[in-house]
Amino acid sequence: MPGTFKRSPLKRPERPYIALGLEGSANKLGAGIIKHDSDGSTTVLSNVRHTYITPPGEGFLPQDTARHHRQWIHSVIKDSLKQAGVEIHDLDCICFTKGPGMGAPLQSVALVARTLALMFDKPLVGVNHCVGHIEMGRQITGAQNPVVLYVSGGNTQVIAYSQQRYRIFGETLDIAVGNCLDRFARVINLSNDPSPGYNIEQEAKKGKKLLPLPYTTKGMDLSLSGILSTTEAYTYDKRFSQTVEPSPESDTITPADLCFSLQETVFAMLVEITERAMAHIGSKEVLIVGGVGCNERLQDMMGIMARERGGNVFATDERFCIDNGIMIAQAGLLSYRMGSVTPLSETSCTQRFRTDQVHVAWRA
Amino acid sequence: MATASLIADSTQIAQGAEAVSDPPSRNTTRKVYKAYIHTSFDSDAKVPILLKHRFKKQYRHPSLDANLTRARVAGEARALLRCLRSGVSVPGIRMVDATEGVLGVEWIEGKSVRMLLGGGAEGEEEQVSDSEEFFDDTTDAGGESVSHVDPLDEYQVTIDEIMGLIGSEIAKMHKADIIHGDLTTSNMIIRHPFAAKGPSPTKLVLIDFGLAYTSTLVEDKAVDLYVLERAFASTHPDSEPMLFAVLEAYKKGMYKDWTTVERRLQDVRLRGRKRSMVG
Ligand SMILES: Nc1ncnc2c1ncn2[C@@H]1O[C@H](COP(=O)(O)OP(=O)(O)O)[C@@H](O)[C@H]1O
Ligand SMILES: [Mg+2]
Repeated sequence: MPGTFKRSPLKRPERPYIALGLEGSANKLGAGIIKHDSDGSTTVLSNVRHTYITPPGEGFLPQDTARHHRQWIHSVIKDSLKQAGVEIHDLDCICFTKGPGMGAPLQSVALVARTLALMFDKPLVGVNHCVGHIEMGRQITGAQNPVVLYVSGGNTQVIAYSQQRYRIFGETLDIAVGNCLDRFARVINLSNDPSPGYNIEQEAKKGKKLLPLPYTTKGMDLSLSGILSTTEAYTYDKRFSQTVEPSPESDTITPADLCFSLQETVFAMLVEITERAMAHIGSKEVLIVGGVGCNERLQDMMGIMARERGGNVFATDERFCIDNGIMIAQAGLLSYRMGSVTPLSETSCTQRFRTDQVHVAWRA
Repeated sequence: MATASLIADSTQIAQGAEAVSDPPSRNTTRKVYKAYIHTSFDSDAKVPILLKHRFKKQYRHPSLDANLTRARVAGEARALLRCLRSGVSVPGIRMVDATEGVLGVEWIEGKSVRMLLGGGAEGEEEQVSDSEEFFDDTTDAGGESVSHVDPLDEYQVTIDEIMGLIGSEIAKMHKADIIHGDLTTSNMIIRHPFAAKGPSPTKLVLIDFGLAYTSTLVEDKAVDLYVLERAFASTHPDSEPMLFAVLEAYKKGMYKDWTTVERRLQDVRLRGRKRSMVG
C-alpha cells in the first residue's frame, strides 16, 4: 500500500548490545561477535572461522566433523573475543545454531554454548541457520525487502518475507545446489580446499563448450539430481578426456567443459525461479545468501536478470556468504532484543528446522 | 517478418496478475501483448488474441536460451492442444512461431483467481527504526474510505464455486496425463460474465502452459498439486479451507485414480519438510 508504512517493531536499543554467535551445522566452525549500538548502528566486532577440509574425492562425515569442531572451538571462540576486544562478561547473550544441519556437529557446538551460558550466567538464543544467513545478508547489503535466494550445500530455497515469516516460494525437490556441485567436484577429483564449489568455479572459467543437460524447473521448484547424474555420465563418454586442453572445435569433453555446462545450466535454473518469485510478489531486489552465493558467475547472471527488471542484486563475499558465526549472532540478537531467549530445556538441536517455522518478530 | 509486425501493432499488457498495477515495461519473464487479427481473409472483423513472446534472456548462455525457447513454445502449444482435445477449459490456439518465440492464443476477458481472492502484491514497506519519525505516533494505517465493489459479485461467482472449478479442471487435465507445471492462482482466469456468451463455457480457464508436459506418473501429478498448495499458502492467508475444497473437487474428477495420487501427495509433502534436514 503506497504511502502507508508499517513500523518496525524493533525499538532502538537504549544502550549497546553485544552478542556472541556460534555456528557449526556443517563443516565450518565459526564464532562471531556483533554490536547493536544505541545510535542504531550495527558493527561486526569479529568473525572467526575454521573449516574442516577433507581430501579430494571425500565428503565430510558427521562424526569426523563434530570431532573437528570440538578440537577447534576453544581457540575459535577465544580468537573472536580477542579480536573484538570484549570479555565474555560483556556479552548480553550467547546465540547458537539450533538447526537445520548435521546432528553431531550441531550438538557439539550447542554443548559449548550451554556450558558458557551456565558458567557466565548468560541467556541463550537458539537460531535458525537459514534465518541467520538472511538477516546477515540484509544487514551487510542494506537490501530492504528482497526476494532471497538461499543456496548452500544443504539448501536451495527461494524465499520472500511476508507477515513475520520468511516464506519459501520455491526449493529443490531433491538435492541442494551446493551438494550437486560438491559431488561433481568429487567425481572429477577437484580439491576441497578452500571449497569444492570454489574450484568448480575456477575450472568452469576454462570451459569451452556447453553440453546438453536436463533443464528441470518445476514452477518455482527445481530438481537437480538428474543433472548431476547426466553430468557424471559424460565422464564415462568416449570423448571424455582429463588430459586434453578444452577447445571449442574438437569434440573432446574436458572436466572444464563439464564444470562450465553444469554451472551455466544450474544457475540459469536458479535465476529463472528467482525471477518467477520476483514477478509473483512484485519485488525488484534479490539477495543471494549461502555458500554458493559467493560464485561470481551466479552473481553476474542474477545481476543481469535483476537489472532487466529495473532492480538490483545484493550479494556478500565469502566472509558472510559461507557459514559463519556472525550471522548467528546477528539473527540471535535481533530476536533477543524482541525479548526472546531459549530456556535451557529447549536448547536441543534439530536437524530439521524449516525457514518458515521461525516467527520473525523483529520485522513489521 | 509477419510475427514481428503483429507484435509491433499490438499493445503490451501488464504481466498478468503478478504485476497488475505495474507499468508493462517492468515485465521481463515473457512479454504479453493483446493484438487483433482478422477472423477471415474477406472480412474486416477483428478479434483480440493474446500474444506471448519469450524473448532472449541475456543471463542465459545463447544456445541454451535458443533451445529452451523453441522447446517451450512448441511444448506450450502441444499441451494446449492436448487439453483442448480432452475438454479441459483452456484458451484456443491462434498462432505458433517457435523460432521467434511467439505463441498466440484466444483472448479471455476476465480476472485471475489470484486477484479475485484479493491476493494482490502490495509491496510491504518497512520503516527502519533508526529514523526519527519512527517514534512519532501520528501516521495512521489509513481509514477505509474508498468503497469498492466486491469483484466476486461482479463476476457472479463464489469462492466455493471457484475452488470446485479449479479442482475439476485440474482433474480433467491430469486424467489426460497433462502436468501443468506452474499451478498458481495467477494462472487461472475467471471469465467475465458479459464475455461468457456462447454455449455456457466454463467460467474458469487454465492458462500458461509454459512449463507443461505430459506424464502418466502419479509422482508428477502429486508434485503438480503440491506446487498449487504452496502457491496458495504463500499468496492467500488462511488457504486451508480453500485447498480442501479444491482437493474435494479434484477427488471427484479423478475418481478411481484419486487414492494413489493422494498417497503420493502425502509423500511429497513429507519430503518437502524433510528437505531441510541439512543446513
Ligand atoms: N488467453 C488469455 N486471455 C487474456 N489474458 C491472458 C490470457 N493468457 C494470459 N493472460 C494474461 O497474461 C498474463 C501472463 O500470461 P501467462 O500465460 O500466465 O504468461 P507467463 O508465463 O508470463 O506467466 C496472465 O497472468 C493473464 O493476466
Ligand atoms: Mg503466468
